[in-house]
Amino acid sequence: MELLTLVIILALTLSAGLFIQAWPLRHQPQPSYSQRIPFLGGGTPDTHAWNRYHIRYYPMTLLLIAFEMEMMFMYPWAVVFVEKGMMAVMEMGMFLAILSVGIVYAWREGVFRWQ
Amino acid sequence: MAVSWLRQLAARSCVPVYPVWGEHDEALLATLVLSTQIELVDSPRHASVLLVVGEIPATLRDGLKHVHDQLPSPFAVVWFRGAPLIALNAPIHVDEADRLVDTLIRTHRELMLGQRDSASRLLPDEPPNPWEGLGDDGHGGEGMMGGTPYGRPMAMNMQDDLRDGLTLDSLTFRLGPFYPALPSGLCAEITLQGDVIQSWETRHGALPQRLAPVFYAARERPVPIAELELARARYHLVQLYRGLHLAGLERIARHALSLARQLSTASRLDGLRRQLVRSGIFHLAAMDGGQLDTEMAARLGGPAARAAGLDADLRMDDASYQRLGFRPQCRTDGTVRARWEQRLAEIDQSLQLARQAEPDGLHTANTEAVETPRGPWSAKPPQDASALLDQLLPGLEWDEAMTLIASLDSREVAETSGRANI
Repeated sequence: MELLTLVIILALTLSAGLFIQAWPLRHQPQPSYSQRIPFLGGGTPDTHAWNRYHIRYYPMTLLLIAFEMEMMFMYPWAVVFVEKGMMAVMEMGMFLAILSVGIVYAWREGVFRWQ
Repeated sequence: MAVSWLRQLAARSCVPVYPVWGEHDEALLATLVLSTQIELVDSPRHASVLLVVGEIPATLRDGLKHVHDQLPSPFAVVWFRGAPLIALNAPIHVDEADRLVDTLIRTHRELMLGQRDSASRLLPDEPPNPWEGLGDDGHGGEGMMGGTPYGRPMAMNMQDDLRDGLTLDSLTFRLGPFYPALPSGLCAEITLQGDVIQSWETRHGALPQRLAPVFYAARERPVPIAELELARARYHLVQLYRGLHLAGLERIARHALSLARQLSTASRLDGLRRQLVRSGIFHLAAMDGGQLDTEMAARLGGPAARAAGLDADLRMDDASYQRLGFRPQCRTDGTVRARWEQRLAEIDQSLQLARQAEPDGLHTANTEAVETPRGPWSAKPPQDASALLDQLLPGLEWDEAMTLIASLDSREVAETSGRANI
């Protein structure tokens, strides 16, 4: 009940704050179209900026995920390793081999060369 | 009440000014940058006052209208020694340099306190590309791509990628003529793939620059070498300011400009050089690019040519400079780093020459050919070399391209000094 009261008080305070902030600006006109076009120092664009853009650190993030998955699997594996014995070692070996293929491929593609 | 209090605070704040530089010389830049009450901003969206300096050629006035309309309301335009656009009523016009800062401050105060109406927009308040309402997302086509949302096509024109073969949508736009990272007047049509410049076509060269009056006087009569060399060092320091400002090293940039303003034969460059080394600017990866070949370097002339290893300087032919034992300094790499190091070395050299020439009041001997800080001026002044950018910039990332442009001085030198103290 206290939590609900607190949430209501917070919501009301936030609403009142937004209202007080917006009230003096109620007569302010919307920015004109000529003001809203992208700033190009007086130039104009040909196309939309909505385009496919290559983030250059993308392969690096994939590599991070490869290593991260490895570690995520290794922690629970370490818990059951004593119980399962050799079978666990083989399973982990297969998992690491598959991940390594990805890492070796990424290496060949030049992921480790930071631009 | 609260608004009134905010208005009072805004009126007392620094005046955010977006400058549009027409034909002018550099003296005004130091006045504005070093004023504690003026802040030169890099986007009209941050400004309350648009300052138009000098005459703007008719071909660039459409660009000016676009910049004008991008200031947020309330805003005003101050015209300094230039004819205002006809479409404006009651423009604020200033002719005297010493009244400019006061006018900017007063205009800002009046705007913030509501005592002056905001300037009206010059372009029609209509969508440049009207909404067409086609497609699932209203983008005018089927699926995620295609069509002409708001009447403007999607960036879908594929071109071969220059960097690693990963072909992406290319983005074409026209930049300039009043983009702060480019020399004023320079206008280009640019195609980007990601952050790599696919193509760069210069559409309008940079506006001519006016040198210090002593360079024009040196073409008519012998002038004191000390005065000429101090003006040369001052010019290079202003160029250094532009490069440092672009790199975001504002404190060092101001130091360079303040040194330029107070420059005398007793001035030393050591402090500035130390700050530059500590800032790490010379270790930026972008400093390694922008190499000029011999032909390009010869076309540019001046420090850019000497930074590329060309041993060319008209001062070598002047008997008075020969008396001072003048030898041009050169680099070999022709890269961005070499050009900045060349400028620093030439500032040092100019200060040294000024110190040597001052006691005897040594004057120049040759008036037919003058080595300006932009390049040699014999038959005609150094010409605009903006077209070189079309060859130099494709394949560079955006930051490398902007660093390269800041290091190159490709502007034409005006034939006459124009009005004094502009």
